[in-house]
Amino acid sequence: MKALLFACLIFSASVAKADLPKPQQPPQRAAREVLHTSLEISTDPKAYEAKLQISESSLKELRAALDGAPVNGSIVGGISISPTRTIVAGLLMFMAVSIAGILLARSTSFGRTQKTVGALVLVAVLIGVAAIITRGNAGPPGSYRWRNLPQALAEGKPTFGGVDIEIVPDGDSGPHLRLVMPLKKQ
Amino acid sequence: MSALTVSQAADYAEKNPDFIPCYPQRAFFSVVVVSILAAAAFASWLPLQVSIVTLFLFAGPHNWFELRYFLMRLPVRFGRSRNFFVTAFAGLAVLTVAYVSLPFVYNARLWSDDAWSTIIAGWNTALLFWLGLLVWLRSRQKRKAKWTWTIPAGLVLASLNWLGPDSFSLALVYIHPLIALWFLDRHLRRTRPEWLRTYRRCLCLLPLVLAVMIWQLSQTTALPDSNGLFWRITQHSGAEVLPQVSSHLLVSVHLFLEMLHYAVWIVALPLIGGVIKTVPIARHPRGFPRLVAGLLIAALAGVVVLWFGFSMNYSTTRDVYFTVAIAHVLAEAPFLLRML
Repeated sequence: MKALLFACLIFSASVAKADLPKPQQPPQRAAREVLHTSLEISTDPKAYEAKLQISESSLKELRAALDGAPVNGSIVGGISISPTRTIVAGLLMFMAVSIAGILLARSTSFGRTQKTVGALVLVAVLIGVAAIITRGNAGPPGSYRWRNLPQALAEGKPTFGGVDIEIVPDGDSGPHLRLVMPLKKQ
Repeated sequence: MSALTVSQAADYAEKNPDFIPCYPQRAFFSVVVVSILAAAAFASWLPLQVSIVTLFLFAGPHNWFELRYFLMRLPVRFGRSRNFFVTAFAGLAVLTVAYVSLPFVYNARLWSDDAWSTIIAGWNTALLFWLGLLVWLRSRQKRKAKWTWTIPAGLVLASLNWLGPDSFSLALVYIHPLIALWFLDRHLRRTRPEWLRTYRRCLCLLPLVLAVMIWQLSQTTALPDSNGLFWRITQHSGAEVLPQVSSHLLVSVHLFLEMLHYAVWIVALPLIGGVIKTVPIARHPRGFPRLVAGLLIAALAGVVVLWFGFSMNYSTTRDVYFTVAIAHVLAEAPFLLRML
């Protein structure tokens, strides 16, 4: 009997313990990309200390980005922050496609095959335009502009390219700035 | 076979009226090619400095020549084109006043960035609507013209404008200089059709030169915009709208196109066009010679005032000029349509 009571006590304890929520783990703070801008890496043989120079306009943009305010970004960014303009643009594009379709269908100078081809071309162009708008800012990979950085540094020439400014949580080494270059081993 | 000398060609031309000597065409070809290459070289080499000098020297005079050209193209009586010209001048006035008032609206600081973009998009839409209306009125006069495709094209442009008003406005900055080349094309077609083929061959060089400029300058460092004037020049070329593109490239390309624009209006069209007596509304018995003379003299005074302004305060005068100069950008549309 005693053994049975002991077993029940152990079981109830384990059930009660199992219902307890697990201790909250501190959430992992990921790096947050706040701004994409341009960066120039240059050398100065007369300088005694490495310098990080930020133009006033870039600093304003960075401040605005940190405050969550809209900054001058891509077209896609513009769409996302202005639903009104996006709606107007969509309506106008709808009217354009509709009228173009009606004109194409009513055109007597084209045969059925030509109209079909024309309609396909129109759709292809629209898809192309949409792709350009949404992906047009992608351009070549950012690493392309930095590919000659080591050589340029060795020759004392400046290199110009894009840079993403990320806010990262403080690490073990304390507050610091780190520049990560997209270079591959030659 | 040995080439003819100039005098031999002249003798031959007198005896054979159908004979067209090729010397002027060759000279024309050489001048156009050299001009394009020289403009590209200067624009790439010292963009900021050349931009300042070019604007100072040629901005005002090119407007004067443009005004003279438009007066030459203006009919004495509008006749069937009355609605077209009324729409053109009314739109020109309304759009110019609206554009000139935009800086004051902006400085009032009553608008958020989003609302300001909406205002810019609204002005651009009004411009497209006005252009569409002019195209429609013009197409009614040209029965063979099939310009209905311009309606969906205009709507697509308006749609793109609402997606990126700043980008659309920047596109206008770069497209406007090219309109002068179109004017020259239409003018050659009327007055020197034998040169047209040569001219169009020269134009084929333009995308090549632009490609080389982009290739050479895309990796260059940004131009210094430490002072107000340099900042204005880079901003006008789109440095803020396209931050990922080198401002050196932007300023150089824009300057290159502007130099071609000035060359067409100040050199090419006046040389091919004619003298002041050919202005129909001045020489016609029922014309307005005093009004035309007064306009041209007033415009000449404006050029002098502009030079004086540039000498006293270049940056402010530049801002004022590019704001008021929207009138000449708009005026090109109806006169170009009349030539199509």
